[in-house]
Amino acid sequence: MLRVPLNDSAAYGSTTHEAKASRYPQKRRFKAILTAVLLAAGTAQAQEYVRPTPDLDRLTQELFAEIQSDQVPSEDLYETLLQYYQTPISLNTATREDLRGLLLLSENQISQLLTYRQQRGPLLSLYELQAVPGFDLRTIYRAAPFVTVQTAGGTNGLRGPLWQRVFKEDNNALFLRYERVLQTRTGYTAAPLDSLGRGPTRYLGSPDKLLLRYRVSHAKDFSLGVTAEKDAGEQLTWNPNGRQYGADFLSAHFVVQERGKLKTLAVGDYQLQFGQGLLLSSGLQVGKGAETITTLRRSSIGVRPYSSILESTFFRGAAATVEVAPTVRATAFVSRKRVDANVQLAADSLAEFDEFSSGFLLTGFHRTPSERANRQTLRETVAGGNLSYTSRSGHLAAGLTAVDTHFDKAIQRRPELYNQYEFRGTHNLALGAHYTYVRGNVLVFGETARSSSGGWGTVNGLLASLAPTVDVSALVRHYTRNFHTLYGNALSENTRNINESGLYLGLKVRPVARWEVSAYYDQFWFPWLKYDVGAPSRGHDWLTRVTYAPTKTSLLYAQLRTRQKAYNPSSGQPIPQPEPTTRHSVLLYYDANPTPTLGLRTRVQGSRYRATDASPWQRGYVLAQDASVAVGRRLRLTARYALFDTDSYDTRQYVFEQDVLYAFSVPALSGQGTRVYGIAEISCTRQLTLWLRLAETHYRHQTTVGSGLEEIQGPRRTEFKAQARYRF
Amino acid sequence: MAKRYPILSVLLLTGFISHAQGSGPGVRGARAAALGHASVTLNDVWAVGNNAAGLGQLSAPTAAVYAENRYLLSALNTVALAVAAPLGKVENGLARRGVVGLEVQRFGGKLYNEQRIGAGYGYRGGLVSIGARVDLLQLSIEGLGSRRAVAVSLGGQAELVPKRLVFGAYLYNLNQAKLAEYQQERVPTVLKAGISYRPTAKVMLNIETEKEVEQSADFKAGVEYRVIDALALRAGLRTLTEETTGGLGFRAGALQIDYAAAWHAALGLSQHLSIGLSFNAKQP
Repeated sequence: MLRVPLNDSAAYGSTTHEAKASRYPQKRRFKAILTAVLLAAGTAQAQEYVRPTPDLDRLTQELFAEIQSDQVPSEDLYETLLQYYQTPISLNTATREDLRGLLLLSENQISQLLTYRQQRGPLLSLYELQAVPGFDLRTIYRAAPFVTVQTAGGTNGLRGPLWQRVFKEDNNALFLRYERVLQTRTGYTAAPLDSLGRGPTRYLGSPDKLLLRYRVSHAKDFSLGVTAEKDAGEQLTWNPNGRQYGADFLSAHFVVQERGKLKTLAVGDYQLQFGQGLLLSSGLQVGKGAETITTLRRSSIGVRPYSSILESTFFRGAAATVEVAPTVRATAFVSRKRVDANVQLAADSLAEFDEFSSGFLLTGFHRTPSERANRQTLRETVAGGNLSYTSRSGHLAAGLTAVDTHFDKAIQRRPELYNQYEFRGTHNLALGAHYTYVRGNVLVFGETARSSSGGWGTVNGLLASLAPTVDVSALVRHYTRNFHTLYGNALSENTRNINESGLYLGLKVRPVARWEVSAYYDQFWFPWLKYDVGAPSRGHDWLTRVTYAPTKTSLLYAQLRTRQKAYNPSSGQPIPQPEPTTRHSVLLYYDANPTPTLGLRTRVQGSRYRATDASPWQRGYVLAQDASVAVGRRLRLTARYALFDTDSYDTRQYVFEQDVLYAFSVPALSGQGTRVYGIAEISCTRQLTLWLRLAETHYRHQTTVGSGLEEIQGPRRTEFKAQARYRF
Repeated sequence: MAKRYPILSVLLLTGFISHAQGSGPGVRGARAAALGHASVTLNDVWAVGNNAAGLGQLSAPTAAVYAENRYLLSALNTVALAVAAPLGKVENGLARRGVVGLEVQRFGGKLYNEQRIGAGYGYRGGLVSIGARVDLLQLSIEGLGSRRAVAVSLGGQAELVPKRLVFGAYLYNLNQAKLAEYQQERVPTVLKAGISYRPTAKVMLNIETEKEVEQSADFKAGVEYRVIDALALRAGLRTLTEETTGGLGFRAGALQIDYAAAWHAALGLSQHLSIGLSFNAKQP
């Protein structure tokens, strides 16, 4: 509750007022009084504004646009983001770059906050944000769950030696998660054998998905974590020869921060993000979504501990950031790990490589014999570093990045025309430079890099607050067809930063209080062929979202999106002539809390799709109603009932769903039927919280669900999920 | 791009000329071009071509020249000259009897060209402006002779929220002038409607939609930001032609210079330049 009872007697705050007002210049008198009153209200009610539990579900929906494909493992990206948001940023010690990393504040607001901090010293309460120019209530409510004004109890050294601090830290949790599809799938049935004892492929492991995670961390001090995961169908075995020690995926990290000149030291699994993410990007990117301004620029976050379960997007080894001078920081890292790839032997003795791989496998599944054969077959060694300069004011930042990758077996993609310029060989060195400069209400940023192939990529953008109510953004990108960045993920239409040029324009307007209009228009060109696109092609993509927040707890928005890209038509022509496919989508969303214990959400989304300009429109539609009730203090129940009706798989609908903490599901619904789920969140004791989730999709006019090894006999697919969190 | 795919470019271009340009309303002034042609709410001298109603707010005699080149092909040049003058007394920056404007324009090269002479009139009363324009068009194709036609256009502008929100609409060629009996070839009839949001004196956001009877609807948007009084930056887009535009404008006393560049996804660069001179020392 961020309520300011201005009728509150000022007697409470009189002393505060006296003490604080002496620090203000005289002309700020009015502001001072206002602040004092706000503070008084704060102290009168509570010393510190109680951070609301973050509505991560709502936040991700506000930040992300609709999901476009199954190729991007969105769940893990969300998890990374959610974990990032779990560590609140201290408003009193955060640098400009830290605040940008929140993705919720405009550059103007950040500048105002820093100025405010400079003039008046640290904020005493979150209530004080109301007195910072440029902070409207909507921004404060959105950011409140992720920020704090408490400084972390003095310097780390004063709180005892490190092992003791780790041992005594309250911010720790052990997670156990179990998932299973209740119906029997083909992959788990007995295989019919022929006379030679051969049969069709089956999964090797049980259909249970298990996750164990422990993490203890303290912001700007240390982080220690262990993760073990087994996907459905994977084996739980101890097989040192096959490099498997129990669970299929194991990860651990230990990170210490702020130890004098040593800013960060990470051992184990970590991620890196510098510049605009052209060379090093750590999954904290949102891409083209409904937030058209603040998410366009990436933040140089540096070294981050990794505790997610995406099996391909991290480095394993060591990384350190050192303060060379007050304005200069140097980071060096080295990583050596094995990645999944299918390794083949050259059939031709004159071939360039005797043994080569046609590409990386990023799914992280090792369920069948063939998937297991590809497990960790390629050794990847990466080393590199970054040198960053940040001016004392924080207005100018610039840096250099180097990433050197070495594989023990050559990469050679399938000899298709669209792979002509893809990375091949065993070695790639990428060098880049990035910059950021703020002046007044304009922020420019960019990064340019070159890979050893001679290909280069550049991404440059601008954010400007033209008026208190108008923000605009622009971004130009160009990635040549032979530019190879293996860990980069700067803004692009393709899933990788290669073979693309683009021009993005974004806008955000708050014409009247409580209303917000955001829009973007993005044009892109692909100078070379792509998979399923047999010629150089182009397209565009635009989005408009109108948001109305009638009260503090309710939100309505309507969103339109159109995307046009060229693809080969399905009819087999000797020379493919890509035709523009068009997809329009609409989303209406209503979220309200009529009472403190009851939450209601309605979601209508639909899309229509046309493969060529001459073909008929296909349509897809989903209507979902959610309700969430708090029963007493220990139980929260959430449920959804959704109906879907799509003409084809091309018009499948991706619908955000609530899930157990840190999990995220965005199932693709196609066909006709209903989707239902229920979640119970039970706070058993102060230490133990339980989540139970049961979800079912029921298809009409279908006798089977899924295909291949995932096929289920019958029209239903039911998933059960349970998670326990224990805090020591 | 155009160099790389000559056949594609020629095909597209011929299609482009026969439809989009084809003696339609076109764009006037580099300011309008930089805003992605979202110009139906503007009220400078080029309103004589963009929306005659905008002429009504002119308070001083003004002359301007405009030059445009599309896709770096000399056959796609446009040049235009416009003059506008208030009638009767000017009170509080408004001409009591409206403003009259005259424009001559030529598009094309030796093989195909269009000339037009247009006369427009705009009147402003209260928060509403109305305007009308008559065009004398002449199309010439080498070896095929030329055709003439008369097109009548009407426009209106209204301030829905004074100085904040402006609505504009313009109907070009409401009489559906015929150019040839063969295939009922007519001068395009185009209806444009748009809104301009001006949160502060420095910022202008325009959105506009344009529909020609036989074409898909075009959606246009533009933003103008006056960094300082003498300099304005602009950006915009058009969805139908997939063009992104940008430009800048300088103002020095009575002189106004605007430049715009547009990038078409397939055809490349277009450039627009306009220079205007206002014959009145007193600038509002």
